[in-house]
Amino acid sequence: MNDHIPQSQRAFFADDEAELANAFLDGVHIIRPAEDRTALDRIQAHLAATAAGILDVAVPDEPTEFLDTIHDRVTVDRLNDFRLAVFRALNDQDWLRPAYLAVARKAIETIVGNELAMQRRVNLSIQLPDDDSSLLPVHADVWSGDSPYEVVLWIPMVDCFATKSMFIAPPDIDRAVQDRFTEFEGKTAEDVWREIEPHVRFLEVPYGSYLLFSQNVMHGNRINREATTRWSMNCRFKSVMSPYADKRLGEFFEPVTLRPATRLGLDYRLPGGFEE
Amino acid sequence: MSGFSGYIASRMIGDSRVPQHIQNMVIREYCRQRGLTFKLSATEYAVPHCYLMLEKLVDELPAHDGIVAYSMFMLPRRAERRRALYDRILSAGCALYAACEDLALTCEEDARRWEDILAVQHALHPEQS
Repeated sequence: MNDHIPQSQRAFFADDEAELANAFLDGVHIIRPAEDRTALDRIQAHLAATAAGILDVAVPDEPTEFLDTIHDRVTVDRLNDFRLAVFRALNDQDWLRPAYLAVARKAIETIVGNELAMQRRVNLSIQLPDDDSSLLPVHADVWSGDSPYEVVLWIPMVDCFATKSMFIAPPDIDRAVQDRFTEFEGKTAEDVWREIEPHVRFLEVPYGSYLLFSQNVMHGNRINREATTRWSMNCRFKSVMSPYADKRLGEFFEPVTLRPATRLGLDYRLPGGFEE
Repeated sequence: MSGFSGYIASRMIGDSRVPQHIQNMVIREYCRQRGLTFKLSATEYAVPHCYLMLEKLVDELPAHDGIVAYSMFMLPRRAERRRALYDRILSAGCALYAACEDLALTCEEDARRWEDILAVQHALHPEQS
């Protein structure tokens, strides 16, 4: 692992912080066990119960198995309406976002900061086996209005592996391709995919773990060729005072952990009224 | 009580200019999705820092159910002035909505949430004030 922290700052980092920071900068992602398994299981149980309610079937005893086999109950033509109904019901829960952050809070505080802006709605992806209607072509979120200061917390609700998971470009390949991006003028995103395909990694992220990655590097998904359905959630975080792009404060992001010194600073008014 | 008044801008909202008919479309659609009865919109004067139309809408409460602004970033720059508006709206038993941000202000806790967003935005972009 490379040491990305300048020597002048190294002594300010605890060893576990430095290890995490270096791992993140090496691969622009980390995969770790959930920090709060209770919070994760609550999200998964509610997700499965919500889906069962919409489908008018009994709440499952085994959420993972139920979610994995949802393609037995939902057809591709009904998938997006179904996904949106589950998405809305989940995001109506006040506890969802605090629970979502709890799954990786220490890591996010180490990598992003402890004063966070969080996306206001947690996204939900469902990818049925062999379905080509829910694909995200290769992209980096910064190309479409996200700030380069954001990270994505991607949490699988079932075991995700191979094409059932998402892929990410290795940082060196990503840099090289983005540096000569104008060569793709007149071509398509599929041409970009073909360029990076030999190098990409489909991430193995079992249920019970999370993926935290920088959306500055190229990533996406392909047709799920596995036998089971992918369910994953994703949500963006950034340091509250770092620059915003087109995903604005208010409509997209909201401060969730403003600290006392910042509150005092926001409220402070310098005395005035003196005349020269 | 007879529905919600729209509130749109004729000057820049932050660093953006949004045509008035687009602001009205967003407000109408927001009301439709929320099941809110939409009345006509009031257009704020273009004079910088002028809130005469907003003050008029708030003065009229509770003759209508509340106000649906195109954006929360149309509210006055000064926090104490916003605070006074919130107090008048809430004490009239009414609500304020921001259609673009999909945010509702129906209670004191909502007001705190709005203020956190607005205070950070103003700290990061004082030039837009």
